[in-house]
Amino acid sequence: MATDEVRWVAEARRGDRNAFRHLVEAYSRALFALCMRITRDSTMAEDAVQEAFFNAYRHLGDFDGRSSFKTWLHRIAVNAALEQLRRNGKHGVTFSDASSDDDGEDFLASRPDEAPTPDRHALGGEIGRQIQDQLARMSTLERTAFVMRHHEGQSLETIAETLSLNISASKQAIFRAVRKLRGALEPLR
Amino acid sequence: MNTISDNDLILYFYRDGLDAGRIGEIDDALLASPDLRARYTRLQQMLHAVDAEPTPEPDALFSDRVWQRLDAQIAALHPSARPTGLRARLFDLLHSLLVPRAAFAAACMLLLAIGVGFYAGRSTAPQPDEIAQTRANAMATRVLDAYVAEHLRATEGLLLTAVNSDDAGLVGNRDLAASLVDSNRLYAQAATRSGNTRLADFLRQLEPVLLELANQSPDTPVQSIDGLRDYLKKTDLLFQVRATQARIDAAGKHST
Repeated sequence: MATDEVRWVAEARRGDRNAFRHLVEAYSRALFALCMRITRDSTMAEDAVQEAFFNAYRHLGDFDGRSSFKTWLHRIAVNAALEQLRRNGKHGVTFSDASSDDDGEDFLASRPDEAPTPDRHALGGEIGRQIQDQLARMSTLERTAFVMRHHEGQSLETIAETLSLNISASKQAIFRAVRKLRGALEPLR
Repeated sequence: MNTISDNDLILYFYRDGLDAGRIGEIDDALLASPDLRARYTRLQQMLHAVDAEPTPEPDALFSDRVWQRLDAQIAALHPSARPTGLRARLFDLLHSLLVPRAAFAAACMLLLAIGVGFYAGRSTAPQPDEIAQTRANAMATRVLDAYVAEHLRATEGLLLTAVNSDDAGLVGNRDLAASLVDSNRLYAQAATRSGNTRLADFLRQLEPVLLELANQSPDTPVQSIDGLRDYLKKTDLLFQVRATQARIDAAGKHST
């Protein structure tokens, strides 16, 4: 795969659309998952993927190979997803909403520490719904930083660079996101 | 007093943002403190619950759909570009529908074929073979649908580019838009002639937007370009193009 990818990227840079098509086929579904997690809307996610590939094609010459093609492409997709949210008026307030009621306070100690019982396992579906609710409660910035760190495995440096933040702000966004997720485990109380 | 915060544990979980010394301290503290272990276990539970959520999956045709639109967008960027490699001929066949003069010629040929077919069916046989006539009509409809589906894919790519690209990109699409205006008219006529008034009406609705895109120039006022983008964003035209395309594709699959 890695060898194929290098070849496809090189051929696509020389204008081979068929090679670029291989890259689209290889990455489109992963990009959809990424954009869907950020936008939480399948239409916006699809448009973001479309735009990400188009932007990637137009800027293939700028890909310097310092990161992997996948990382480069995913960064473009993150920005395309954020752009979709901006265009659809679902970005503004939440992106800059850095406040949190209990920012900085420890929260993990307040949870009961019993092992999950069968009854609690039965609440799995409820927890899933709660997780979705909590993800929806996050600001765009928090959710994007969390998705990049947790689901994409991107480093804080990459997150900061992609979102035009400093490292400290990236950390804080992730801390707030994780803090909000605790509400998802309320059924386990 | 425990100096390891929840934020430290979050960074520890991801092994990011902490130096090796701090990670070592947390390792030791986790071994020594049951309370800290319990806190860390809760964090792990919470984040693993997130992992248990299903990965968002698009439908099976997603990649194909993305490529079809992308191919049209790329064609609009580099009208003269041609694919290389073994599948070049197939690509050329597909792209012939997107290249200005070829698209117009294809639409003309199609219109002529459908016109001759319907005329011949109505006027030549003294005792018309109804089954053969029905087959001929169905074939003509399928051919028209296949061409219109490609036309709508190219139109969708054009509209997406118009909505998403900068002003220069929008102006760069003039040739493609102009070619689509011509073929759009001919497909609308062909649809009318074949009795598909719904499709014909829809194609006629598209024409003013295609004309507007064909008339963009570097001198076009920014307000006018923004107005066009706003129109495309606020109306459901792009959705209608996709829906019509999907309906035609579904009808094609159903009839084969």
